[in-house]
Amino acid sequence: MKKSLLIFLVSTMLLMFTFSAAAETTTLTYWTFQELHQQFFEKQVELWNENNPDNQINLESTVYPYDQMHNKLLIALQSGVGAPDIADIEISKFANYLKGSNPQLVPVNDVVDPLMDKMITARFENYAKDGKYYGIPFHVGATVMYYNMEMMDAAGVDIDNIVTWDDYVEAGKKVKSALDKPMTTVEVTEHWTLYPMISQIGSDIFAEDGSVILDNDKNERVLTFINDMVHKSEIAVPAPGGFHHSEEYWAFMNDEGAASLMMPLWYMGRFVQYMPDLKGKMAIRPLPVWDKGGNRSAGMGGTGTVVTVQSDKKELAKNFLVEAKLSVQASHKLWTDLGFDPVRWEVWDDPVMSEPNQYTEYFQNEDIFGMLLDIKDEINPTMITEKYPQAIDLLKKNVSFKVIKEQSQTPAEALKDAADELRQ
Amino acid sequence: MSNSKVQITAIILVLSFFAFFALAPFFFMLISSFKPGDQIIKNGISASIDFDIMSLQNYKTLFTERSGIYLHWYKNSVLITTIQTAVAVFLSSWVGYGLAVYEFKGKNLIFVLVLVLMMVPIEILILPLYKLSITLKIIDSYAGVILPFIVPPVAVFFFRQFAVGLPTELIDAARIDGASEFAIFFKIMMPLMKPAYGAMIILQAMFSWNAFVWPLIVLRSNENFTLPIGLASLITPYGNSYDMLFSGAVISVVPIIILFMFKQNSFISGLTVGGVKG
Amino acid sequence: MQIFKNFYEKYINSKKVAPYIFVSPFILVFLVFYLYPIISTVIMSFQEIGFGEAKFIGLANYKKLFNVHYKNALLTSTNYTFWTILILVPLPIILAVFLNSDKTKFTNFFRSSIFMPALTSVIVAGMFFRYAFGEQASTLANSIIGIFGLEPITWLQNYIPAMIALVVLCVWRWLGVNIIYFLSGLQSIPEEIYEAADIDGANSWDKFKYITIPSLKPVIIYVITISVFGGYKMFAESYAYWQTATPNDIGMTIVSYIYQTGFNNFNMGFASAIGITLLLIVLVVNIIQLNIFGLFKKEEQ
Repeated sequence: MKKSLLIFLVSTMLLMFTFSAAAETTTLTYWTFQELHQQFFEKQVELWNENNPDNQINLESTVYPYDQMHNKLLIALQSGVGAPDIADIEISKFANYLKGSNPQLVPVNDVVDPLMDKMITARFENYAKDGKYYGIPFHVGATVMYYNMEMMDAAGVDIDNIVTWDDYVEAGKKVKSALDKPMTTVEVTEHWTLYPMISQIGSDIFAEDGSVILDNDKNERVLTFINDMVHKSEIAVPAPGGFHHSEEYWAFMNDEGAASLMMPLWYMGRFVQYMPDLKGKMAIRPLPVWDKGGNRSAGMGGTGTVVTVQSDKKELAKNFLVEAKLSVQASHKLWTDLGFDPVRWEVWDDPVMSEPNQYTEYFQNEDIFGMLLDIKDEINPTMITEKYPQAIDLLKKNVSFKVIKEQSQTPAEALKDAADELRQ
Repeated sequence: MSNSKVQITAIILVLSFFAFFALAPFFFMLISSFKPGDQIIKNGISASIDFDIMSLQNYKTLFTERSGIYLHWYKNSVLITTIQTAVAVFLSSWVGYGLAVYEFKGKNLIFVLVLVLMMVPIEILILPLYKLSITLKIIDSYAGVILPFIVPPVAVFFFRQFAVGLPTELIDAARIDGASEFAIFFKIMMPLMKPAYGAMIILQAMFSWNAFVWPLIVLRSNENFTLPIGLASLITPYGNSYDMLFSGAVISVVPIIILFMFKQNSFISGLTVGGVKG
Repeated sequence: MQIFKNFYEKYINSKKVAPYIFVSPFILVFLVFYLYPIISTVIMSFQEIGFGEAKFIGLANYKKLFNVHYKNALLTSTNYTFWTILILVPLPIILAVFLNSDKTKFTNFFRSSIFMPALTSVIVAGMFFRYAFGEQASTLANSIIGIFGLEPITWLQNYIPAMIALVVLCVWRWLGVNIIYFLSGLQSIPEEIYEAADIDGANSWDKFKYITIPSLKPVIIYVITISVFGGYKMFAESYAYWQTATPNDIGMTIVSYIYQTGFNNFNMGFASAIGITLLLIVLVVNIIQLNIFGLFKKEEQ
């Protein structure tokens, strides 16, 4: 008994000592839920230290489990103690941190405003409130269509002739009859099918004044269309496992389970990592449009890196973040290291963006960023309100699931139910 | 075959079924831990043994990745589990015994408090408990992980239930012999509660080893993490690091199993020798 | 010294004071670590919580409880608790009796194997079970029902199959633990009682019914009580299968609901209100249960 008590006291004291050991350079603490982000930041710190010999940074980064990092950050910010200097916040959780009149994040306008003409500004709006930007994005997350060219050729489909979603369905029918495989998969327990299409068609969950428009006609059209792809023309199936990040799904796609897939550009990394057998077979194209002249993409997903008010090195943290995520050099790296489409579109036609790397080798495209430049003005901002996390929850849990999987509600009913719940 | 032989064979069969049910996932984890992560994804789940793709690489990664932080987590988990289990089991037997053998004012109230506390989900207390830990300055320390749980109500309740079944004549006899109330506990009752200690040590160690929600909130620095937190950070909604996940899981179980097998002997002898035989 | 000893003899060691010394560690921990958080949770349940700001909103959080998600969660938790108790009390008693018998061979092996699941983290175990209950025809669960000629099921997206998946995971994890509880109870039944029964010519079933079960009563009460608590508090298993994306609330328990509202939607006030109702529900269920078993009565044996 006594011995363990002693061990316990000693270890507690030791822990306290390790705390007081101060570093010579400025230490910034950083929380993330994504090890890749951590590795990226650590390289960026090295570079920063080379360029700023008299203003060195020591980055103490911690990778937490996804959900738990967000919880921990909420708790730390709510109680006023224990938050890091900088942190990653995933877009669907971001609104939680802007709740109330007293956001615990530091506006970064002063450092990002000068760069805004070179940026896809819509992506900054996702992390903004009352005209203040609180988060710095990693990527645009332009939603695109990934086609399996082997299957397209086998079915005699020329993907460059697919202009509208109706064309896409027609092509899907060809694939279906030639190969007896679905053209695509749709998510029923996540929102990466419904939401991008809603954004693409020019609608949203919330209007600009914050009112709920989830049950408007456009959204009903979108959900009906998705539902028809599954149950009417039968060119789509619900994704195995329910969503496009499940283990079942990767195995299914890797085995050529479906001929194409709509996901944001950052999903390239998933192809490279989890679907090695499709290497060399995939090609990326803009999305089919809803109506002639409509948008060919939508910006989806993302992570905003923030500076918390609890930091006592706010200026340094802000400057470092801008350098590490938005500079020309950083933008190149975001592509070459992480496969992201950087928000600084100015760099998209730089030579380094078309040099061969693991992503260009995997996909058939000659010039991915040429294509993106083409559609960069076709990306709508998404309106984010305090209820956004709840809204995403409802999209994930109820809307697509009840309509497409359970078939217990019509698109109109499901959207109405979810919208009513958000209006409460 | 005689009737009793049939009976025994049937019993063995039933037990084998449940042993298989219990062990199958471990078998899968063990096999998967030798396979490269992308293979696990590619072929979906399977426990097929394919020596061509199996290697010790995952285990190497585990011990070298991020300068061996896995070993750090391991050490933390071992230390926290040991300390917490020792303190918690002793204190809860102390309290449980008190609740079982004495009549005193407020006893039912305390018992109800034990029950209430048992059922409060930690999830709803996190925010205030975190604020409290800041005030008490135990954030990011072993103390912060351990102290709120040194008298686990579940264990108190267990010991209370166990002690209720102990023969009260022994206590009365000892009192007549002039033993103090505490001497009775240490010299007579503690040995009698050996089976309960055996069970509770194992169970508390298990709770502590797998504790996740609270340690995650109270610990901040990477090197202070415990194993479950470390392992959980390999699972993300954007894809999991299977390479380390399964090997990490296997290694995290193995020593506990060894400990259990080894401890089981003393545990079982405790059960049989220490049983209440009069 | 003498004074101290007298003091000790007279007060500390008296049957009046000693009990309080025995229960003091619990009271201390309760006062230091739990009293404030519990009170604070009660207060929060009447508030809307922001960053550094809290606004009293009366009973608004409690009024919000009348919604379909809460009803679903309550139903799921109740179902789950019912089924796990129905399985995890009788089954481990029988297995414990088997394991306790002198005639049974390899008891060490069986006991260790069945207990092993308790040692793993539910996070990792959950991965296995999520695969096993996958929707393709080739998954473990679908292969098993395939033997009986049934069509593959999308286990985790239908209510009853999802409940089965949860209960199976729970049985897998806790069977061994409950066996240990019952074994420790069985070991303290004096051998002589059985011997006496043998002399009276009792058969195995009589002995089980008239000696084993009554002797195990305190342990059974304990296991049922903690199972009610554990059942209503269950979250980890649900999280392992669905994380927080429980489609149409399938598999969403009360604590999942607390977690989703409190953290995912940062509505701490509402989450606290759900928590308080959970506390009350389980308390009532258990007090009824304990009263039936007469736990609050003075004599036990």
